[in-house]
Amino acid sequence: MCELFASSTAQDATAWEHLARFAEKSRNNPNGWGIGFFRDGRALIEKSSESIHAGDQVHDGFLRLARVVDSRLIISQICGPQEGQPKESPVLPWSDQFLHHHWLFGFRGDSRIAHYQSPRPIMPDARSAVAVRVLEFIRDGMEAEMQVWPDQNLYQALALTCKRLITDYPGDYLFFLANETVLFAFLNHGEVLLYQPPQALGQALVLTTVAGGLTSDPDHWLAFANANRSRGQLLIISGGDLLYQGHL
Amino acid sequence: MCDLFAMCAARSHGAAGVLPLFAARGRRNVHGWGIGFFRGRIPVVEKSPEPVFRDGRAHDSFQRLARVVAKPIILAHIRYRSSGRVDECHAHPFTLDFWGQSWLFAHNGEAGAIESYRSRQAPLLEADSDSARTFEFLRDQFAEAASRPNHPTFLQILYEALAGLIRQYPGEYNFLLSNGRILWAFSNHRQFLLLKESRNLEEALLLTTIEEGLSPENWRTISLREGTWGKILLIAGGDLVLEEDLRPLPGCPTISSRDLPARQA
Repeated sequence: MCELFASSTAQDATAWEHLARFAEKSRNNPNGWGIGFFRDGRALIEKSSESIHAGDQVHDGFLRLARVVDSRLIISQICGPQEGQPKESPVLPWSDQFLHHHWLFGFRGDSRIAHYQSPRPIMPDARSAVAVRVLEFIRDGMEAEMQVWPDQNLYQALALTCKRLITDYPGDYLFFLANETVLFAFLNHGEVLLYQPPQALGQALVLTTVAGGLTSDPDHWLAFANANRSRGQLLIISGGDLLYQGHL
Repeated sequence: MCDLFAMCAARSHGAAGVLPLFAARGRRNVHGWGIGFFRGRIPVVEKSPEPVFRDGRAHDSFQRLARVVAKPIILAHIRYRSSGRVDECHAHPFTLDFWGQSWLFAHNGEAGAIESYRSRQAPLLEADSDSARTFEFLRDQFAEAASRPNHPTFLQILYEALAGLIRQYPGEYNFLLSNGRILWAFSNHRQFLLLKESRNLEEALLLTTIEEGLSPENWRTISLREGTWGKILLIAGGDLVLEEDLRPLPGCPTISSRDLPARQA
């Protein structure tokens, strides 16, 4: 199962300590890694299909990027072995442009959404890539919502799209979706852990799916868990603040 | 009655095309003006007790600032005194630090009951007005919430603070609250007018209390819904991210959506 990481800060900042720990604790995920961030409003992604670990060492490129990339929003994903049938597994995060923003997207989960046919496929030949289909579904759904009801707010458009996603394509979904200002986290299964570094109220937040979190004391991490797949919850984060938690 | 203006975008923009219109259409407010924005984490406020519009033109300094300020979020306030003296210190926006960051605050409405509020936190704002006390009241609620163990969301604290404010100090509260990255707006009287993708500022969202808006475009009117105590808006990066009704009954807010199920407590 893939592992996800996000950091959200009030000002551009690196997340190297947490990213290094993220890599350490995801060593059993051999199917590639990626780090996405924003520069001048544009989403940039560096990724590799190589394992995050080579022997006892974290991938050199990942560590160098972790030290250098500074951005208010950073999303990273370390891709793991797929359960069941082998599937094409494009390395995440992905990016796309819609609703006047560049977006970064990281995903873990599984569903039958591989059959979804978007009018604007991101990667047409990745027919079985669940993550890409989910991003397309989210993008298409939010665009349709905003077109039908332009006065709608962004949260509503995303929440309604997520509701439709888990209704039309039942399955396990956990994703981070961020533009240059706001990070949304959605889950209808599993757990997202949130950490506010000490003395950093309002300045920095870290999210991850890694069990136990990325510090020595798991008690410092606040867990957002979701047991009911037919429902889900959405978090809104900006800067170092958890702004909102809504349940579908 | 004072008037409010905000421009909110993902990246820095100037508001030279709309701030003079705000001054002109809010000309009845003759007791001062202020423009606020953030330089990094630091709030910057320029304000004056002089009328924003006189002899057929906007105040010279207001015009100059409107031409040169370019930031992701710009707030402006033009004042019609209902509380406190007419001087620079009573002009808005005000600044206070809480929840680990600095905030700008601009308010309109009459809320005489809050004038008696005495904050136990420091610092206190120099201004002696309902607006200053309102900002201190909000700051104090966040200061108290900082020690809560269950990590409440920002909206939970704001929601509870506003419910307490209106319950304890009934009055008219329209305000803007920004940390330079996001903008919260609240209204329990009058209205906000909102415009996305203006001809002048395609990537920005504009918000004002001026009834006719600031251009002959399709401004959306947002006002409190019947049976509620007010409307809370969250704006970030040129988007209306969240819109929430403040409800008179205790408890958590529900999502104001066409068909979303109610939010769990």
